[in-house]
Amino acid sequence: MKRIIWFIALLLLFFMGDRLAGHFLQKLVEQSQFRYSRLYRGDAAAEILLVGNSRGLNFFQPYMEEITGKKTFNLSYNGMPTDLAKVLVEDYLDRYPTPEKMVVDITNCDRMNDELLAGFLTYSAESFRLDTLINSKLPKIWWGGKISAMFRFNNEIFQRALYHRNRTDENWLRDHVISAKLAAEGSDKPYPLEIHPYLVRQLKETVITARAKGVGVELVIGPYFPGYRVNNLDVLKNAVEEATGLPVRDYQQVLTDPTCFSDFRHLNVKGSKAFIERMKSDGVLGN
Amino acid sequence: MVFNSLTFLIFIVLFFPLYFGTKGRMRLWVCLIASYIFYGWWDWRFLSLIVFSTAMDWWFGLWLSYGNAPEETRARCENGSPVLRFFGKITEIAARLNLSRKAILVFSMAMNLGFLGFFKYFNFFADNFAALVRSFGLTPSWTTLNIILPVGISFYTFQSMSYTIDVYRRQIRWEPSLLRFAAFIALFPQLVAGPIVRAADFLHQMQEDKKFSWANFNSGLGRVLWGFFKKVAIADSIALFVDQVFEAPNAFGSMHLLIGVVFYSFQIYCDFSGYSDIAIGLARMMGYHFPENFRTPYFSKSFSEFWTRWHVSLSSWLRDYLYIPLGGNRHGRWDTYKNNMLTMLLGGLWHGANWAFVFWGFLHGLYLILQRMMAPVWRRFVRLIRLPKLAGDAVEMATVYSLTLLAWIFFRSGSIGLAGGDSFATAGKVIGGIASLEGFAFGAVVNKFQVVKGVLLIAILLAVEVTNIRFRWNELQTQNPVWRLAAFAGLLWLIAFFGTFGANAFIYFQF
Repeated sequence: MKRIIWFIALLLLFFMGDRLAGHFLQKLVEQSQFRYSRLYRGDAAAEILLVGNSRGLNFFQPYMEEITGKKTFNLSYNGMPTDLAKVLVEDYLDRYPTPEKMVVDITNCDRMNDELLAGFLTYSAESFRLDTLINSKLPKIWWGGKISAMFRFNNEIFQRALYHRNRTDENWLRDHVISAKLAAEGSDKPYPLEIHPYLVRQLKETVITARAKGVGVELVIGPYFPGYRVNNLDVLKNAVEEATGLPVRDYQQVLTDPTCFSDFRHLNVKGSKAFIERMKSDGVLGN
Repeated sequence: MVFNSLTFLIFIVLFFPLYFGTKGRMRLWVCLIASYIFYGWWDWRFLSLIVFSTAMDWWFGLWLSYGNAPEETRARCENGSPVLRFFGKITEIAARLNLSRKAILVFSMAMNLGFLGFFKYFNFFADNFAALVRSFGLTPSWTTLNIILPVGISFYTFQSMSYTIDVYRRQIRWEPSLLRFAAFIALFPQLVAGPIVRAADFLHQMQEDKKFSWANFNSGLGRVLWGFFKKVAIADSIALFVDQVFEAPNAFGSMHLLIGVVFYSFQIYCDFSGYSDIAIGLARMMGYHFPENFRTPYFSKSFSEFWTRWHVSLSSWLRDYLYIPLGGNRHGRWDTYKNNMLTMLLGGLWHGANWAFVFWGFLHGLYLILQRMMAPVWRRFVRLIRLPKLAGDAVEMATVYSLTLLAWIFFRSGSIGLAGGDSFATAGKVIGGIASLEGFAFGAVVNKFQVVKGVLLIAILLAVEVTNIRFRWNELQTQNPVWRLAAFAGLLWLIAFFGTFGANAFIYFQF
């Protein structure tokens, strides 16, 4: 009998401690300045909505706001696939006034990312759509989140929310110049971009939803390091144009200065500014 | 089947009632069948290999015993089970060959090492021999084979060999029960990644039926949970950072690479010692005692001490069955150096069929030799400058750890070599990148969140391991139910909050 009582005490202690800690962590997340905390807190109204994976972080917000005079909100995250982006965009459009523009870097059709999706368990209590997506794609993770409240915060997304608790993430960009050693390797290994029809369909549905709400959607391919080869990029561009019926603005080789890049696929602040200026002059960011 | 999977959880929940609900031969059958299910879950075809290897070594033990005490062995066979009578008859026929005991042992070793060599090293030696032939301007025409490496073969082969050698040395008696011997070789907690449990330490434990004991169960479960924390929370979490470093070393700055290498030293420690903790804990829950395999190795003050703290079951195996038979340190300085180097080279090769593992062994051999050479000079220097003991210890620990890190770079690159990459090129890029001091600032580190998490977890590990010397946490929780409640709940919280739940295989499965 003593053993059974001890075992019940262990379960009670574990679950009570877990729920208590989970509640505390949830409060931390809710108060954070991290983009998704702001999204679900109702603190993210903007005129330009930016979407992408790590290359979506090339949309350097402080400069974009400076030269357009418009408020921006960036939903991008490293490795974000379009199915997750679709949920976030839909949640945004449900909660905020319609933005004038939505700029999407289409290279987020590149890969599935279950690890990142699992990380969004942190925000699953805020969004039925997110919760449903995680449940359908990662049922074990979803159940893990139901059993342990702390498990919902066992990911990088939570760590970022904690890091940005009292500081903005709008200037999030790796600001250094690609090393000469790495740059020399550039032409050796083409980036193996994959095309997932499922992700292209998700992008198409995102575009349809946004346009139905009156958002001006702009699809772009951001710059790559000069001479850097990306397999299948043209195939992806054609597939997206065919699916969405919208033209894709191709900026992959518009920047020829190697010092604009932090690596082959990402810009630094200097490069980002040049890219944003180019988009502005092309009317991508509105009038 | 891996410990960190749902399948194993179901397996173990079913196993324990069956184990403690049976006695004698029936319990041995439960152990054997459960262990074969555990092993066969990975690839059932290789069960035949382990069954054959077990029967072969058991029979070699019988044959050697026949040479030691023919009348007694014959009598036991004739009065034994049908299996024993059958093998007894085969042994009688074999005995007509009049082979010396040494010849039987050599035959046994050749068979064991032959299996290991074929499955683990055939392509390695074939490739290298082909390269050698090509260097003489010839064109060899053979091809390599598509051989799958059976999980755990290095571990159970060494375990099995130790039995035959110990019977030959008359250090243990031949085991008359094939069932008990097979259950010993296959016992699932240690089958695929050790500790390498020797017959002399363990077979006698299987001769009695261990009764269920709450003290053993609690102590074992505490150890299992700690092992899971080390594997799932620490090793698998920092593995994400380490993998990036070794996949594309040129993409990162000096500080990032250095952190990656330090993390690897803890990844491999937590991965392997975590497995050992789980194995030792499971055995304790069953009522058995497995030898310790790790004793806070990164606190070693010398390389000889390091090898009494790191993978102890392998290093003591190599010491007892290789280093000492080679002459150990009994025949002068140069022979000692030679024996050190040979033992470490073979220890390196044991880990995998790649020159990077051999080089890792070479570095450790070199460290041991240099240590022997430099120790008197160092002691004189310490006396001369009157270095306080604490400072001296810190310098020694830092030196051993730093040089161990250097060797780990080659070891990790060896895994890349096994996957078809270029081990030495990878190791060169990592070492060159660190030495260049380009980006030697924390600001240049990518994925800082992984770094912060890794550092936090390593701090928890070190805090527990250092304080464990004084407080003996596992004993404390065994004796006090309140402590146990706090310890188990604490570990479960840590695992829930920090764990990486991808059922990632243990690093040492590949060896």
